[in-house]
Amino acid sequence: MRDILYMAWRYLAYNRIKTIILILSITLIVFLPAGLKILVGQSAESLTSRAEGTPLIIGAKGSPLELALNSLYFESDMPPKMTFAEAQRVADSGLATAIPLYIRFNARTFPIVGTTLDYFDFRGLEVSKGRKMAVLGECVLGTDVATNLKLEPGQHIVSSPESVFDIAGVYPLKMKVVGILSPTGTPDDRIVLVDLKTTWIIEGLAHGHQDMSKPEAAAGVLKREGNTVIANASVILYNEITPDNMDSFHFHGDTAGFPITAIIAAPHDEKSGTLLQGKYLGDDELVQIVKPSTVMDELLGTVLTVQNYVVAAVVVIGFSTLMTSVLVFMLSLRLRKREIEAMHRIGGSKARVLGLLSTEIAAVLLIGFACAGLLTLTASQFGAQLIRLFIL
Amino acid sequence: MKWITLLATGFILTGCSKQAGQIEESGIPVVYTVNYPLAYFAERIAGDLVDVHFPEMEGDPAFWNPSPEEIVEYQNADLILLNGALYAKWVPKVSLPQSTQVDTSAGFKDRFIALDEAGNHAHGPGGAHVHGEVAFTTWLDPQLAILQATVIRDAFSSHWKEHAAEFESGFLALEKDLLSLDAELEKVFASLGKQPLLGSHPVYQYLTRRYKLNLRSVHWEPDEASDAQMWRELDAILETHPARIMLWEGVPMVETKARLAEKGIQSIVFDPCGNRPSVGDYLSVMKSNLHGLE
Repeated sequence: MRDILYMAWRYLAYNRIKTIILILSITLIVFLPAGLKILVGQSAESLTSRAEGTPLIIGAKGSPLELALNSLYFESDMPPKMTFAEAQRVADSGLATAIPLYIRFNARTFPIVGTTLDYFDFRGLEVSKGRKMAVLGECVLGTDVATNLKLEPGQHIVSSPESVFDIAGVYPLKMKVVGILSPTGTPDDRIVLVDLKTTWIIEGLAHGHQDMSKPEAAAGVLKREGNTVIANASVILYNEITPDNMDSFHFHGDTAGFPITAIIAAPHDEKSGTLLQGKYLGDDELVQIVKPSTVMDELLGTVLTVQNYVVAAVVVIGFSTLMTSVLVFMLSLRLRKREIEAMHRIGGSKARVLGLLSTEIAAVLLIGFACAGLLTLTASQFGAQLIRLFIL
Repeated sequence: MKWITLLATGFILTGCSKQAGQIEESGIPVVYTVNYPLAYFAERIAGDLVDVHFPEMEGDPAFWNPSPEEIVEYQNADLILLNGALYAKWVPKVSLPQSTQVDTSAGFKDRFIALDEAGNHAHGPGGAHVHGEVAFTTWLDPQLAILQATVIRDAFSSHWKEHAAEFESGFLALEKDLLSLDAELEKVFASLGKQPLLGSHPVYQYLTRRYKLNLRSVHWEPDEASDAQMWRELDAILETHPARIMLWEGVPMVETKARLAEKGIQSIVFDPCGNRPSVGDYLSVMKSNLHGLE
C-alpha cells in the first residue's frame, strides 16, 4: 500500500501544475455555494439583529427602506425631514421612549449622528476613553473613526461643509472630542456622536456671536428698531463652542420646529407598541411608523431570492467544471497509456495499477475538499473581517 | 447597483447589537433638580424613598453654570426635575437624557407670564428673537407650585409604582401646607389692598398676578449699592407709583435701606427661595416672608 501511495505522490508532485489546477477547481466547486450561503447568512443575521434591536422607527412619509437604512446603518440618502415636535409627541403619549436622530452632516467621510444620551443606553454603547458629551459642541467618536483619524479625547474634529461652492451655507463647527466608544462591531463604530442640539448649531439654527449691545460690535449693527438690533453679515459667529462664548449661544425660534430625520421609539411593552403604531394610521398623517425588522425581512427576502439564483448558477458552473475535471482525468489516462503498459510489463497487476490511478484521483479530490472545508471555516469565522478588508 | 449597495450594506455589518435602555436600579433612586423649591417638593413627596439632590451653588440657580463633572451627575440621575419656563439657562446648552427629564411646568405653559421684549436682536434666517421671554419664578404662586408638585408625584408614581401610595400621602401633606400658605398670603396681601408696591428685582410676576398686587419692579441687588442713575429711575417710578413698601430678595444693604426709609419706603424681605436657604426650609422661608408682611 505504501508503494502505491508513494508512486501516486511522486506522480502528482511531478505534474504539479496540472495537480494544482485540479485541486483549485475542486476547491472552488465545493466552496463557492457553501461560502456564499455562509456569508449571506452572516450578513442577514447582522442586518436582522440590529433591526430586531430597534422596535420602531418614525419618520416623515417616504421610502420605509430609506428611513430604516439611514437610521439603523447611516447608509442611504437622507430621508425627508420632520420636526422635533414629533419626538415630543411620542414622549407625551407615554407609550414609548423617544430617541430623536438627525443624520445629515459628515465629518470627513464619517456621519455625524445627532441624538440624545438615551441612544447610549438604547444601543448599549460604552465609552472606553473619556466620557459622554456634556455640553454643546462636544462629540464622542466611534472606535473606527478614532483609529482612522488618529484622534484622542481633548483633540478636535471639524464638520464638513455640504458643498464647497455653498459659501453662504452650513458653517463648519469645530467639535471637541471628549470620548471614544468601545468597539461594537456595528455601524456605531463609524459615527461621530453628538447632541442633537449640536447638529442644529451646525445647520445654523442656533449660534453664538458677539454681544450686539456692546460698543465693539457696533460695526455689525445694521439698524436698531426700539429694542431690536438688526445685525449685518459682518457679525462674528463663533465656529467653536468654548466656556468663554458658551453663554452667547442661543436658538433661533422654538426647538419644537427644528428638523430631525427619524425617531427611534422604544415602547414600554408590546401593547404600548401596538397602540403607538395605531396612532400613525390616519390618512392625514405626515409621518410614518415602521417596524425595522419587517422592512429588513422584506429586503432580505429579495436578497435571498437573488442568492438562490446565484447559488443555482454556481451549481451549474460547478457541474460543468466537474465534468471538465472528469474529462481531464480521462484524457490524462489516454496520455498515460504507454506508462500504464510499462507498469504491466514490469509485473504490475491490473488491480495495483487501478489502485494507483484511483489513489491519485482520490488524493486530488481529498485535498480539494479539505481546502474547501478550510475556506468555509475561515469564511464562517472571519468572513465579515475579510469582506471589510477586501471590499471596503 | 442598488443590490450591490444593499448586499454590501449587509456584508459590512458584523457581530450582534444588543438592546439596552433598561435603567439599572440599585438601591435608592437618584433625582436631581434645577432649583431648591423642586428639591423641597420632591423630598416632601418621596421622603426617604428617593435620594433628592440639588447641588450647592452660589447665587441664583437660574443663572448657574455647572461644571462637566456636575453635568455628568445630572446625566446619571434616574430623573431630572426641571422647572420649565426657561428657568436654568444652562439646561439647553448641555446634553441630558431626554427620557429622564421631567418638565414640571409643561402643563401650564398657557399661564406663563411674558416679559418685555428687552434684548431683541435680529440676524440670520430666523429673524428677530429674544432671550428669556417668560418669567420663571412659577413657584411663588402656590397654586402653580401645587401643579408642579403634582407632576413630580405623577413622575415618581410612574417610575416607582410600588411606592405610589407613599408618594400620594407625601403629596397630600405638601398640598395641604401649600394651600394653607396660599390662604395666609392671600389674607396678608388682601390687607394691603391696591396700594402701590415695589419689587427690588423682576422676580415677583407670579406672586403679583396670584394676589392681584399693584407692584412694579426695578433691577436692584440686595448686596450691591445702587448708583445715582438707579435712584433717578426709582424717583421717576415713584412719581406715578407712590409705593411705601419694597419687596427684596434678600436683606438689603444698610445704606440702601436707610435711604429708602428717608423716602418713606419700608424694605421687606420676600425671599423667592430659589436656592437652598442656610437655615430652615422652603416652607419656613415662606412663613418668614409672610411674617415680614404682617
